[in-house]
Amino acid sequence: MIDVVLDRAYFVVAFLLLGIGAHMLIGDRNLVKKVIGMNVFQTGIFLFLIASAYVAGASAPLLTEPGPYVSPLPHVLILTAIVVGVSLTAVALGLIVRIYGEYGTLRADLVGEVDGGE
Amino acid sequence: MSDLPALVVVVPILGALVSLLSGIRWDRGGWYVAAATLAVQVGLAVSLAADAFAGEPGSYAVGGFTPPFGIELLVDGLSASMVVLVAVVALGVLAYARTAGPRSPRFFATYLLLVSGLSGMSITGDAFNMYVFLEIVGLTAYALVASGEGGRPAVAALKYLLVGTFGASLYLLGVGYAYIATGTLNMADLASELAAVGYASPLVRASFAFVVVGLFVKVAMFPLHTWQPGAYAGAPDSVSALIASLVSTVSAYALVRIVLTVFTPEFLEAVSFARPLLAATAAVSIVLGSLLAVAQTEIERMLAYSSVSQFGLVVAALSVSNAAALVGLAVHLVGHAVMKGGLFLASGLVSTGADARTVADFDGLGSRMPVAAASFGALALGMVGVPPLVGFFGKWYVVLGALEAGAWGLTAVILLSTLLTLAYFARLLERMFFRETPEPASGAAVADGAGAPDLAGDGAGDTVPGAADLSTGMYAAVVAAALLAVGLGAAVPAYESALAPTIEVFLS
Amino acid sequence: MTDIASFGPLAAVLVSAVAVGPILLSGGRPNLRESWTAVAALVKFGIVASMVPGVLRGDTYVTDLGAFLPGARFALEADALGILFALLASFLWIITSSYSVGYMRGLDEHSQTRYFAAFAASLSAAVGVAFASNLLVLFVFYELLTVATYPLVAHDETDEARAAGRKYLAYTFSGGVAVLAGTALVYWLTGTVTFTPGGIAGLGGADPTVARLAFALLAGGFGVKAALMPLHSWLPDAMVAPTPVSALLHAVAVVKSGVFGIARLVLDVFGPDAVSELGVGLPLAAVAAFTLLVASVIALRQDNLKRRLAFSTVSQLSYIVLGLAVLDPTALVGGLLHIPAHAFMKITLFFAAGAIHVETHTDDISGMAGIGRRLPLTMTAFAVAAAGMAGVPLVAGFVSKYFLLIGAISVERTLLAVALLVSGVLNVAYFWPVVYTAFFESAEDSDRKPLIEGPLGGRFPWGADAAGDADPGPVADGGAEGGRAAAATAAAGDGRGHDADDADHTDAHGHGHAAGGWERRGWTGGESTWFMLGPILAVALGSVVLGVVPDGAVFLRIVRLVVSGVTGVSV
Repeated sequence: MIDVVLDRAYFVVAFLLLGIGAHMLIGDRNLVKKVIGMNVFQTGIFLFLIASAYVAGASAPLLTEPGPYVSPLPHVLILTAIVVGVSLTAVALGLIVRIYGEYGTLRADLVGEVDGGE
Repeated sequence: MSDLPALVVVVPILGALVSLLSGIRWDRGGWYVAAATLAVQVGLAVSLAADAFAGEPGSYAVGGFTPPFGIELLVDGLSASMVVLVAVVALGVLAYARTAGPRSPRFFATYLLLVSGLSGMSITGDAFNMYVFLEIVGLTAYALVASGEGGRPAVAALKYLLVGTFGASLYLLGVGYAYIATGTLNMADLASELAAVGYASPLVRASFAFVVVGLFVKVAMFPLHTWQPGAYAGAPDSVSALIASLVSTVSAYALVRIVLTVFTPEFLEAVSFARPLLAATAAVSIVLGSLLAVAQTEIERMLAYSSVSQFGLVVAALSVSNAAALVGLAVHLVGHAVMKGGLFLASGLVSTGADARTVADFDGLGSRMPVAAASFGALALGMVGVPPLVGFFGKWYVVLGALEAGAWGLTAVILLSTLLTLAYFARLLERMFFRETPEPASGAAVADGAGAPDLAGDGAGDTVPGAADLSTGMYAAVVAAALLAVGLGAAVPAYESALAPTIEVFLS
Repeated sequence: MTDIASFGPLAAVLVSAVAVGPILLSGGRPNLRESWTAVAALVKFGIVASMVPGVLRGDTYVTDLGAFLPGARFALEADALGILFALLASFLWIITSSYSVGYMRGLDEHSQTRYFAAFAASLSAAVGVAFASNLLVLFVFYELLTVATYPLVAHDETDEARAAGRKYLAYTFSGGVAVLAGTALVYWLTGTVTFTPGGIAGLGGADPTVARLAFALLAGGFGVKAALMPLHSWLPDAMVAPTPVSALLHAVAVVKSGVFGIARLVLDVFGPDAVSELGVGLPLAAVAAFTLLVASVIALRQDNLKRRLAFSTVSQLSYIVLGLAVLDPTALVGGLLHIPAHAFMKITLFFAAGAIHVETHTDDISGMAGIGRRLPLTMTAFAVAAAGMAGVPLVAGFVSKYFLLIGAISVERTLLAVALLVSGVLNVAYFWPVVYTAFFESAEDSDRKPLIEGPLGGRFPWGADAAGDADPGPVADGGAEGGRAAAATAAAGDGRGHDADDADHTDAHGHGHAAGGWERRGWTGGESTWFMLGPILAVALGSVVLGVVPDGAVFLRIVRLVVSGVTGVSV
């Protein structure tokens, strides 16, 4: 049993990150922490996908290296996804700054009270 | 194949840049740039659709990299319909936004980026590329929702952002599973590779579940709809019209594309949980969406819940996935987009003109703003599915499809949805036309038999406090939507035959 | 039997729809507005009438507007059954238009423009129902009829009217959903929904359970507008609408569109053979028989004249459904002939009720003692039509009921025949009191009305209520308004002086009668405006013509044509 887990330790960690991120995203009342949770959640996905490119004993996909190579595609994809993630974080933080300016709080529940249950 | 598929994505991006730059010199330039860009976009979209409906479904290799290695743009009847729909609705809403909406060049640049993202989602043939466009749409939509004044739009936008990102991430996770299973991201290639891996593989099944649930968030299926009412109610009127009309629609299109092109109907046959997942979500959304809509007092929130219910119908058609249901799905996607966009514009019109934002505010609207009220009424009846308005056609085809598939329960739910929709629209009709305006100032106008309110008066006839803020463009957009809701039905038979080759490909 | 491509059916539908535009635009000039209605009504009738000779020759006029949905083209088709309904509706629209003018202006009603526009739109939809060539087109117009008549029901804009409107929408749209479901099932079973005389081939051989379900859904859906019990309750409530609406729409166009749908269902969708094979005719007949008896009994206890007429409509509509459900050719003739017969008689009754309302603001029968003196011509027309309803010979109702009775007996459905006869007796029972009150009673000298005043079941201790006996007449609620009533009657002295208290006209209850009884008016039309008297006398005359020379009037010939086309038997 433990062997099974240890063999896949990397994936276990990736999914732990997913769980932690989702929990913060949904459960935490602080808006900034929600955004951090969102980032952790996305990072879990990124790590998971990059791990999938790994081929045992293979080298980096460079012409000068001998084959077999690890798959280069996930790296490219995740690079794109990271850019997307950064943009999202930027927009989210921008919104939070504005919310803080309007309501003077970062607590999601208090913001809701001010807006009358929105 | 010409370069048209690439152009429908690129042109709005260029327009966005120009719009942003024009803002340096000329504060009001954004609107004109956006209008010109969207006019070009409509032309491009229509010629793209003409090609797609005339000939074979086409594909375009971006940058010259041959699929399945490079990114493929894929144009068939359904994606061409979406591109045209996006262009036309965006232009219509733009006409409304000239006086009503936020007017900064940045707003119009974001607006055009949203159009680009939606067009890209409509024609991409690559699962990861879909994710990128999904996020472009998401980012621009969050920014647009937040473009209103005050704190409420910002809160709504942040909630939308968090939930939307969660959905998109799930989608990405699902695509990752599919990639791990097959080593490809091209949709057509994925279809054959997934079949080769075998539908029993847990990787493939997990991929389906993640992708579908992720897109459910974007489409706003119950219980993943929570971002929607706030976002629609918080955003400026022109933005909520655009988003309500297009974002959910194109997301639903993405769901259809992924489920039918990538996973194929054979997958739905082979995997026992696939169909029930779709059908049950659809049924729950239809019923609970309507019930929640009945419970709302704010018009825009009511319309948002109505969307939850109406997209239940689309997903129901997807769960059935036979020829009739898919025709119904396509017709309803287009018809609903026009009607819901029109309803949001009309509600924006009355909230500007008569300060009517809640159900109770609609009292006597028929005599205060006859044109707006009549348009709202026509669009509402279209939503209910009164023939020969376009809402009826989609419903009829979906019902036929569900019957053919022997899905009795689903058929019953879809038919009942007519009455549920009536439940929340009928009270508005009654208030608009059969109640008097609460303040007694204009009571004499109604008591006088000969001077009965003139229903056919033009925009200028609306004598309301905020009338100065109402432009011809705003009226034109609303009336055009109402006329389309009435007239589109006549095009359905032709559309059905034009769509036949596409649907054959979907089902083969 | 040939199909002739013609724009006739389409034009007949569109005329009044097109007229909606000018009517709305000329809202500020009532005379111009009403002339649009009149022109549209005449043209519509002209177009329909021009197709009658061809239809009698066995031709069918068809307007085909192209593909609509799978299994159905958007085609309008003037066949014998369709022309029967269209001719009836468009002819009576002419008369009702004139009456509407008198009624609406007499009461100085609000929102007259909306009223006339919605009326024209309703007629379009009704003729569309008549000329629909398949179930889907029929459904389209059926729903449009609902939408177009809703503003007429909710016209008063009182809480009562709005509630009635809500109920109306809820009932009829539910019916519409059932029709849609049934239509989808029929399409699923056979691949077509086009009407075929004698039935769509393949329905008889289809899965009987599904076919029965389809029949039940369609019959139930149309049954809502046909006011079959227990789906009838919107109709009495809808009587809150202005009387011309009750007269043309809730006695002819709307309710008959439901009946007409059942006729199409029995004759052209399933066909008599399939209906009897599936065994669904008898349940339908049973529902109809139940409705016609129970509705008559309920009518006995209604004091509001329009509500009594509404329950009478519920009951009479079931005669038609019964005729259709019995499936005997003679009964079919009777049932179909009852469509025009009932229309003429019931519209007379409603017109009379409306005239009473306009002239005296009386709505309750208990307040009408001696009103025959005030409105002699109106009440005579009422009496004639009421006699016809009960099946007295020489009035329209007798002929159709005779055919129905013969039909029911010839297929040995004795129980149904008994139900018909009993209902005839009940008809007398609920109409005679009205006539009696109007002509043979007066305010000072009127009898007790135990059926109306007593509790249900009749175990009311009259002896103990001796004080009540002394009370002159049943003016329980009318009396309370005695003061106003006197004022109203006094004001009515100068003919149209009732305008003075038009604030009262939305009152659901009548004003009771004046202490001095009704003023006596002559037989020369001094009782009301000829805008209303003319129509009343015209439709009353029509009822008599249909009863005296049924073969002379065109309706019976059309009906015979329909029946022989469907069953092959000429009656």
